[in-house]
Amino acid sequence: MKRPDVQWITVTSSSLSLPEAGTRDGSLIHCSAPYSRQQQPAMLVSCWCLYLGAQRLYRHVLSMASVVQKLITPLFSGTLEPPRNKVTVVGVGQVGMACAVSVLLRDLADELALVDVVEDKLKGEMMDLQHGSLFLKTPKIVSGKDYSVTANSRVVVVTAGVRQQEGESRLNLVQRNVNIFKHIIPQIVRYSPNCILIVVSNPVDVLTYVTWKLSGLPKHRVIGSGTNLDSARFRYLMAERMGIHPSSFNGWILGEHGDSSVPVWSGANVAGVSLQKLNPDIGKDTDKENWKETHKKVVDSAYEVIRLKGYTNWAIGLSVADLTESLMKNLNRVHPVSTMVKMNVFQGMYGIGDEVYLSLPCVLNSAGVGSVVNMTLTGDEISQLKKSADMLWHIQKDLKDL
Amino acid sequence: MASTKEKLITHVSKEEATGSTNKVTVVGVGMVGMAAAVSILLKGLTDELALVDVMEDKLKGEAMDLQHGSLFLKTHKIVADKDYSVTANSKVVVVTAGARQQEGESRLNLVQRNVNIFKFIIPNIIKYSPNCILLVVSNPVDILTYVAWKLSGLPRNRVIGSGTNLDSARFRQLMGEKLGIHPSSCHAWVIGEHGDSSVPVWSGVNVAGVSLQSLNPDMGTDKDKEDWKSVHKMVVDSAYEVIKLKGYTSWAIGMSVANLCESILRNLRRCHPVSALVKGMHGVNEEVFLSVPCLLGNSGLTDIVQMTLKSDEEKQLKKSAETLWAVQKELTL
Repeated sequence: MKRPDVQWITVTSSSLSLPEAGTRDGSLIHCSAPYSRQQQPAMLVSCWCLYLGAQRLYRHVLSMASVVQKLITPLFSGTLEPPRNKVTVVGVGQVGMACAVSVLLRDLADELALVDVVEDKLKGEMMDLQHGSLFLKTPKIVSGKDYSVTANSRVVVVTAGVRQQEGESRLNLVQRNVNIFKHIIPQIVRYSPNCILIVVSNPVDVLTYVTWKLSGLPKHRVIGSGTNLDSARFRYLMAERMGIHPSSFNGWILGEHGDSSVPVWSGANVAGVSLQKLNPDIGKDTDKENWKETHKKVVDSAYEVIRLKGYTNWAIGLSVADLTESLMKNLNRVHPVSTMVKMNVFQGMYGIGDEVYLSLPCVLNSAGVGSVVNMTLTGDEISQLKKSADMLWHIQKDLKDL
Repeated sequence: MASTKEKLITHVSKEEATGSTNKVTVVGVGMVGMAAAVSILLKGLTDELALVDVMEDKLKGEAMDLQHGSLFLKTHKIVADKDYSVTANSKVVVVTAGARQQEGESRLNLVQRNVNIFKFIIPNIIKYSPNCILLVVSNPVDILTYVAWKLSGLPRNRVIGSGTNLDSARFRQLMGEKLGIHPSSCHAWVIGEHGDSSVPVWSGVNVAGVSLQSLNPDMGTDKDKEDWKSVHKMVVDSAYEVIKLKGYTSWAIGMSVANLCESILRNLRRCHPVSALVKGMHGVNEEVFLSVPCLLGNSGLTDIVQMTLKSDEEKQLKKSAETLWAVQKELTL
């Protein structure tokens, strides 16, 4: 920060210094000999007047200096560094704000940007978050309809779009949300060409594919929140039945986020003890303990919460913050997220030949999807994945203008 | 035939698992209540969270949504019911229930609507958690803290109003913007009535102990060229502005509530500007609650810091007290 006032004072006082002046102790400026004895008293008086004038000017200027200038001495006045851990959330509906608050309360970002088309709501949400700055460690919270506010983001969370109505299946939302994405995605990539995109809007697997196509980004940098939430719900419900904490119950739900998600029963374990070994019927209709019911509850969860409160937001917000943490902190943790199953022209995971996004266990780090874990699936589980892939491709092939 | 669970897990402890030690109840699952609940959960302050409301579907939906996030949290028990028995043995009860301010409506207009709601809520809370600490958030907060105190029969240290904790946070955020410093390093106290007539104590505004008023003696007056007075005005207008833009405020008050709960539950004895009984202080003779700097710990509001106020600041507090008392004495409790 410049302090022009101080510099000006310096110039002024130096311009006051007379040639070969004697001591200058702040109270008296002695004139030197060259002037005649008759002129000296007049010189002294004018020196004194000049001095008083200068002092008054100095005090006046100092009082004009702002509190900031008096309080703080800047040491560094170059341009500030761009943010290193910026997160953008597109869409400030219930899901977007839940993601934003979870990211803030987990201290994951040094800058948060919010974007939406509804300007009043957007500004109000930004202000409400800014008012909580005292309690947070994210010093910059910005928002705007214009995507320039999102520049230099590391992670961009896309929640924009219309939400499921009561009873509406996710696949019915498709074309409505594709049209919105055609506007959003190119703008995001324009301002943050190196970002990682997390797509949350439903139907998430299709929209992650759409996002990938519209963005032109390499596939490892476009992730769908996928079955991260389904797996979290599954682990919660299974752990409840066992009387343990969800984080101590390991279980994976893969494939399509929603009605046809695939619970991998062979992988379900506590402390490495496979539940399927203890109960070979687990997940089947013949299972006396009806564990299959737990997976069904996971699928029904979203519809149930929507029926009760109109929408879901807290759980998805927390799950997105969890993914963001792995990406921002380069953790190499494994999460079930939606990723491109087709590796290259010749092969796809589990023999799937279509370009679809399905949830698989992915190792997430600062580059995005670092690698995919090859889970050993039963023939039945693989055929369920293939069936989901077929259904998704069936919708995707008819989408226009990608 | 042993079940899968029995094959997997062998129970060895002869003791009953102890109940929760740090339970928090949030009454009211509107925007403010849920923002407070989420902030409390994400700060890991409690081992049990209870939610209460009269709208059963909304209540159940909110509880389920939070439970589905359990994997990411460290609060293993989240319960909800219309019946107050779920709130039993709470350490802190956050009351957000009540009607909210409409656009342009002042806080004092909400009074009688919210008093009637409190007549149902408060006795129910006390019935199941007779030793709790009540944290009142519903507006007008200073009056409703008084109402909660009267209806609960709790001693004055166990009834706290969220008061100007939020106003001070907003002031510090704006001050931080003006100075280019993080709000936590900008110190300022806004006290008195939460709302239109809150009092910014200019003499206390400082950074690193450097009083800003000593650098700018006109601070807070109309003569001030830097117009610091408008910073306080912006704080007062904040709530109305956010309500106008998004319909309500939630995140900031939610975080401010979690901040207070943290001091109480962790027995920090931190100093916060919250609404306390101020009769006998600063020339106030009425039995009213106004925000002053208080120490909060696990017994609640244990001490009050005596601020040295200027005569016009004290006058403002007295005036607020009179306004509040004028409303309070008309209430049927």
